[in-house]
Amino acid sequence: MRRSALFSWLQAAPLALVLAVFLLVPMAMLVIVSFFDYDSYSLIPDFVLTNYRESFSSAVTWRTFGKTLWFAGLTWVITFGIGFWVAYYLAFVVRGDMPRMVLFVLCTVPFWTSNLIRMIAWVPFLGRNGLMNSALIGMGAINKPLEFLLFSDFAVVLAFVHLYTLFMVVPVFNTMLRIDRRLLEAARDAGAGFWQTLWCVILPLTKPGIGIGSIFVVVLVMGDFATVRLMSGGQSASVGLMISNQIGLMQYPAAAANAVGLLAMVLLLMAAILRAIDIRREL
Amino acid sequence: MSKTTLTRRGALSLAGAAIGSGAITGFPTLWAQNIKGVTLRQVGTGVSGLNAIAEQVKKDLGFTLQLTVSDTEAVAQRAATQARSFDVADIEYFSIKKVYPTGVMQPIETRRIKLADKIVPIFSTGKLLPTGTPGQGTAPHTVGYVDGKTSTKFASAPTGWMTLMPTIYNADTLGIRPDLTGRPIRNWRDLMDPAFKGKAAILNIPGIGIMDAAMVMESMGNLKYGDKGNMTKEEIDKTIAFLIDAKRSGQFRAFWKTFDESVNLMASGEVVIQSMWSPAVAAVRSRGIACTYQPLEEGYRAWGSGLGLAKHLTGLQLDAAYEYLNWYISGWAGAFLNRQGYYSAVLDTARQHMSENEWGYWMEGKAATADILAPDGKVMEKVGAVRDGGSFNDRMGKVVCWNSVMTEDRYMVQKWNEFIAA
Amino acid sequence: MQADVELISVTKRYGGGAVAVDNVSLAIPPGSYCCLLGPSGCGKTSTLRMIAGHEEVSEGDILLAGRNVTDMAPAQRGTAMMFQSYALFPHLTALENVAFGPRMRGVAKAERLKRAGEFLDLVQLGTMAGRLPSQLSGGQQQRVALARALITHPKVLLLDEPLSALDPFLRTQMREELKRLQRELGITFIHVTHGQEEAMALSDIAVVMEGGRIVQAAHPREVFERPASAFVARFIGGHNVLALPPGSFAVRTDRCRLVPSGGQISGTVTAIEYQGAAVRVVVACPDGQAAEALLPDGLFHAAPVAPGDAVSLGWEAADAHLLATHHAA
Repeated sequence: MRRSALFSWLQAAPLALVLAVFLLVPMAMLVIVSFFDYDSYSLIPDFVLTNYRESFSSAVTWRTFGKTLWFAGLTWVITFGIGFWVAYYLAFVVRGDMPRMVLFVLCTVPFWTSNLIRMIAWVPFLGRNGLMNSALIGMGAINKPLEFLLFSDFAVVLAFVHLYTLFMVVPVFNTMLRIDRRLLEAARDAGAGFWQTLWCVILPLTKPGIGIGSIFVVVLVMGDFATVRLMSGGQSASVGLMISNQIGLMQYPAAAANAVGLLAMVLLLMAAILRAIDIRREL
Repeated sequence: MSKTTLTRRGALSLAGAAIGSGAITGFPTLWAQNIKGVTLRQVGTGVSGLNAIAEQVKKDLGFTLQLTVSDTEAVAQRAATQARSFDVADIEYFSIKKVYPTGVMQPIETRRIKLADKIVPIFSTGKLLPTGTPGQGTAPHTVGYVDGKTSTKFASAPTGWMTLMPTIYNADTLGIRPDLTGRPIRNWRDLMDPAFKGKAAILNIPGIGIMDAAMVMESMGNLKYGDKGNMTKEEIDKTIAFLIDAKRSGQFRAFWKTFDESVNLMASGEVVIQSMWSPAVAAVRSRGIACTYQPLEEGYRAWGSGLGLAKHLTGLQLDAAYEYLNWYISGWAGAFLNRQGYYSAVLDTARQHMSENEWGYWMEGKAATADILAPDGKVMEKVGAVRDGGSFNDRMGKVVCWNSVMTEDRYMVQKWNEFIAA
Repeated sequence: MQADVELISVTKRYGGGAVAVDNVSLAIPPGSYCCLLGPSGCGKTSTLRMIAGHEEVSEGDILLAGRNVTDMAPAQRGTAMMFQSYALFPHLTALENVAFGPRMRGVAKAERLKRAGEFLDLVQLGTMAGRLPSQLSGGQQQRVALARALITHPKVLLLDEPLSALDPFLRTQMREELKRLQRELGITFIHVTHGQEEAMALSDIAVVMEGGRIVQAAHPREVFERPASAFVARFIGGHNVLALPPGSFAVRTDRCRLVPSGGQISGTVTAIEYQGAAVRVVVACPDGQAAEALLPDGLFHAAPVAPGDAVSLGWEAADAHLLATHHAA
């Protein structure tokens, strides 16, 4: 008995060690540094609350957190809207495993290039003299270029949606594939129409996939800084961007304090998602 | 060749270097064989982190210069926090103000720089001509020297210990698209002209961007700074409030951070007037798009970079680094940089590596007598072209401020972030 | 009397041109228990699914209580289906599963839960209302599925191999219950099965299918006593299908006796199987045919034989049932 208990501990040890070294230690460092003082060129080990006070007493910080949430929320709504239907189409409309897999792989093709390239590709398309505006003007739909297409929140959300919809599609698609087709017939047999089946059967059964997809999308958006900076032309802020700016200026404790704030927010959101949806069935 | 073998080789040759070090001034040939195995790792910005320079170093000096290129902030960050990851830092003076006091660098002995007295006086006295006044801000001469070999305190006057050996500098102004502005641009305040609403940009590096903003503020008559390069909290508040208003009213199309971003903004016509760097203007022009590096009545905002030595450098590697520093101002590199629209720290030696026409165009404000070629051989400017802003003296003589790190840096950066987030 | 369910020349053709159901016509009188019987791939499930409306009809018409429902949605037909392995909604409790139909039809929550409770009581599962399907045994799940199908008051209940997932003991019990329910409710049950025993035990009409066609549709006794073809005789079991002059015929194994000599067919005993009340004796004939006799145990033990013994098999001439020759399997 004793030996086997010891053995189980030993078996769990490598993973625990990896988690400790690569997750807990950095997090602990982050928290510790967030209480350090600093000047323009060095960290001063100390225990001060100024980093938090300076950050969270500023309306801008709260606005930035708000904005980040807004980006995350809007991106979530849209990626869910698109992702759900793409997954639905692949899982329920497409017949046969072969075409389904081919279409699925097709969905992932854009992801064979880097995030940055996919983002930058939008610039010549959406710009003032870009393809979109040229086309619209050429068609006579507008007479002067639409400025909001690029360097705007619209552009940021568009890029997010483009980058992250697949992260919603994959888990939702995966969950949908596991739904027994006879359940849909059973619903139909009981008098459910398309939307009733969707709402009462498919949606509840797809929840774990939606939960996982939501976590992906929300976490990715909350932590992003490159997309926000590039697509807003530096005009919009997100918490990630704020942290990245502070790191760039070597204000590590301030960055750490904001990072702790961001971490708290992300954890709260995850808790909310996990509370709403039991994803364990999927794991 | 792998890193490990290099370091091992470096260690083995330490003994030889110790013997040879007594002969540095007189008989460099004693260790000239050993030096071929040395690799120097340099971090720096894309401005001067150029492969052509590394190739020339290999050719002229025989050792390897390994370049890592990053943006201004990242270079400073890396220099301050990962001291062991580089041997030579190619870094801006306003960054060295933050980096040097962390103690990761060692001072450069002026006596080991052969052409030290030929370096333009901007770096020693802050004045181009004896009659001039130094620009405001973190002017190179204010952070160019330290008190002693182990001191991290900046000296108020030249000493025998340099923080950086100056290499490259320039006078920055606004870049414009003359075909799209529709009128001549003369002042910094034109950046805020409502006619350019949604078509203006400034750069999002706080230490530089705030200076551009200060130039605009003064030009508009909104504020007269005590010292633009060292603002009070109140001045910072006013400047940032002004920027936020301009942002909210939609004056800016974007805030850029990298060279390429600024080029793309301008070339695509997203922006018609913005903070810009000289070679970025050249890059726009090389696409056949009209772009002017517009001299302005109020003068220029300047910046300077130099090469600094990491503290851990000793022995043969240190000797190699000094060789490299001396080489840098010995002419070839200076000419190479001058041809890109920057200025070299020692002018005379650079001149020897430039044609009469090149020197006339780039340095004297004369019309080109033949096509001006880019380093890659492409035609950059046609016969008859005159450099925007004119001669070296016209441009560097009109520097009113330098990129800065202020006493209220922490506050300024916080406020700048608020502006970006607004 | 008008038939409850009527198939008129119904054909089901799949994408690749494969014909699953080939020109099938069938009329099922009201209130009957009908079993669709046959080996897998015979078209019985496709037929059921077409009646349910889960499969499109390629040709022909389906009439329910005189109404042509060929193009109607399942719920409009007045049918309800109980799916193989039940297809209970895993995220809903037993009660909610049963209440699903009324919920889809917009019945108020209190009302539909009350009714669902009554139907759960009907299948003796009133105490399990709050459980999820995964917390119920196979038999319990089946009852829930039954209640869920019945709550919509279908005129016809369609059952797709409802007993196949149960163990033999439960199967017999459930069989009785299905029959009882059908009798009490007085509606038509159409039950797909591949077990002839099940069909015989339950049905008023047994429909034997082969290769997408109906080969015999009659009362099970009729089917057993007068199989329409060699295939039916073999599939239904309990028959020897033999070819002797003047033709092919079937004879029930329990009508065969071992005789010392002079029987209709002779051969060697190859196997003896003791089944309690009866003993099964298999005889191989020199011409390659095999036949068997199911002997009451008393009779067998009075004159036992052993494998390898030469025996002769005999039966009353009236017991030999001539088969149509074109059905030779």
